[in-house]
Amino acid sequence: MKKLFLLYFLCFAAISFGQTANAVIDKINAKLIAVKDYTVNANINANIPMIKIMPSNVKIYFKQKDKFKIESKGIVIVPKQGFTELNSFISNKSKYTAVFGENAVIGKVQTRLINIIPNEGTGDIVLAKIWVDVAKSVIMKSQITTLSNGTVNVDYTYGDQISRGLPSVMKFEIDVKKFKIPKSVASDINKSSADKKKASANQKTKGIITITLSNYKINTGLSDALFVKKKN
Amino acid sequence: MLLKNTYNEFIKIVAKPRSYLGFGALTLLIAIIIFAMKADGETIVSFITASFEQTLSFNGKLVNGNLIAFIILQMLVVHIPLLVALVTGDLISGEAAMGTVRMLATKPISRTQIVLSKFIAGAIYTLLLTVWLGFLSLFVSHLVFGAGDLIVLNSDGLVILQEADILWRFGLGFCVAFLSLLTVATLSICLSAFAENSVGPIVSTMAIIILFTIIGSLDVTVFDTIKPYLFTTHMASWRSFFEDPVPYDSIIQSIVVLLVHIVVLIGITLYKFNKKDITS
Repeated sequence: MKKLFLLYFLCFAAISFGQTANAVIDKINAKLIAVKDYTVNANINANIPMIKIMPSNVKIYFKQKDKFKIESKGIVIVPKQGFTELNSFISNKSKYTAVFGENAVIGKVQTRLINIIPNEGTGDIVLAKIWVDVAKSVIMKSQITTLSNGTVNVDYTYGDQISRGLPSVMKFEIDVKKFKIPKSVASDINKSSADKKKASANQKTKGIITITLSNYKINTGLSDALFVKKKN
Repeated sequence: MLLKNTYNEFIKIVAKPRSYLGFGALTLLIAIIIFAMKADGETIVSFITASFEQTLSFNGKLVNGNLIAFIILQMLVVHIPLLVALVTGDLISGEAAMGTVRMLATKPISRTQIVLSKFIAGAIYTLLLTVWLGFLSLFVSHLVFGAGDLIVLNSDGLVILQEADILWRFGLGFCVAFLSLLTVATLSICLSAFAENSVGPIVSTMAIIILFTIIGSLDVTVFDTIKPYLFTTHMASWRSFFEDPVPYDSIIQSIVVLLVHIVVLIGITLYKFNKKDITS
């Protein structure tokens, strides 16, 4: 009888916590869905092993549900994942199960961890974790593990657009496997094999890309044509 | 007298049809490269970025005039020595083969000045070839592809240089590339002093370049001690201007090695030509 009661209690607790986690996600979704499109100025600062690039200023365009475009004068490097995937993934409740994890303090903000597990094993996302400021219904940190790109951690800082769930700073921490340089393309004949091995051994495996966002222009009615890729 | 004779030597170079072979070949090769990059540049560039694109996304105009100019320079600096040697390897031996060396030696000019005037004329030809390479690779590719940031792949990784930070690198890069080609020109002039026909010095110059390049590219520790002294090791030092930060120490070292080669080779040429028996 005791065992039955315990089982019933655990099931009840799990269901009730799951519902609460979904409710939190619903509130986040409601904020994100209200933003149909936006344009924002961004400063991208990439600190990635084996890549040297100066910080650059770009313009980012976004339109629901997953249209995304970066307009820049020069070459910019951004994470392949982390901009639209999470929002797109959490917007479809039938695709995942959300359960609460432990509490955590990020910065000075009390957050609650929500583990999001895909219901089907066919997608790219294996597991998503979001740390949510429940009081303000915003994601403070996310960790997405995918089959194709490994794990991407994103820290969010909010400014004047917190009410719409749009961050002012996004800090991506990316798993960079040891990049392999094709020998036929790179020819540093002044470097000995020992130098090259030493450089390879010292290679870090984490890359940081910090994107500072400012001057949001929200719901201006961006055209779909803006997101069509032009050929050079 | 030296200047007058240099002018005469340059006229001789200009009068030879083979002197235009280099310009023609360069124009054709660059046209082919530009056409290939226009047709399939994105795929070619994806070879560079493929390793990184699993986790990162590259935005912006990757295929642009600066990248094409860099690729052209990288591809052709290896082959241009042949075009240079084709002309400069003939400067002294050509006179011997045609029998005009005796007449030259009877002029009221020292043998040292004869060699120096030939060297200066050869240097001017090499400079013109380098300028033509620079014009075609930079100006024409900018005209076709437009400007943009430059993405360079080294063994250390990727360096992305901003558009405004590139032109001076090309300028200095071409200067060092000219010095490299001048070393080749001097080597062929030097070998030319030892030969009685034109083919020998040209083939010998290329053979030496190929041999040294192979030694330089072999990743064997036993060659590590001699690699820094081979001029071919320093012929690609123009590329160092496209690193960040620029390794000025190694560039200066390369310039010194190339200059030492030029001085030594001119010295050997002067010694040989002054001792040359032109009566038989």
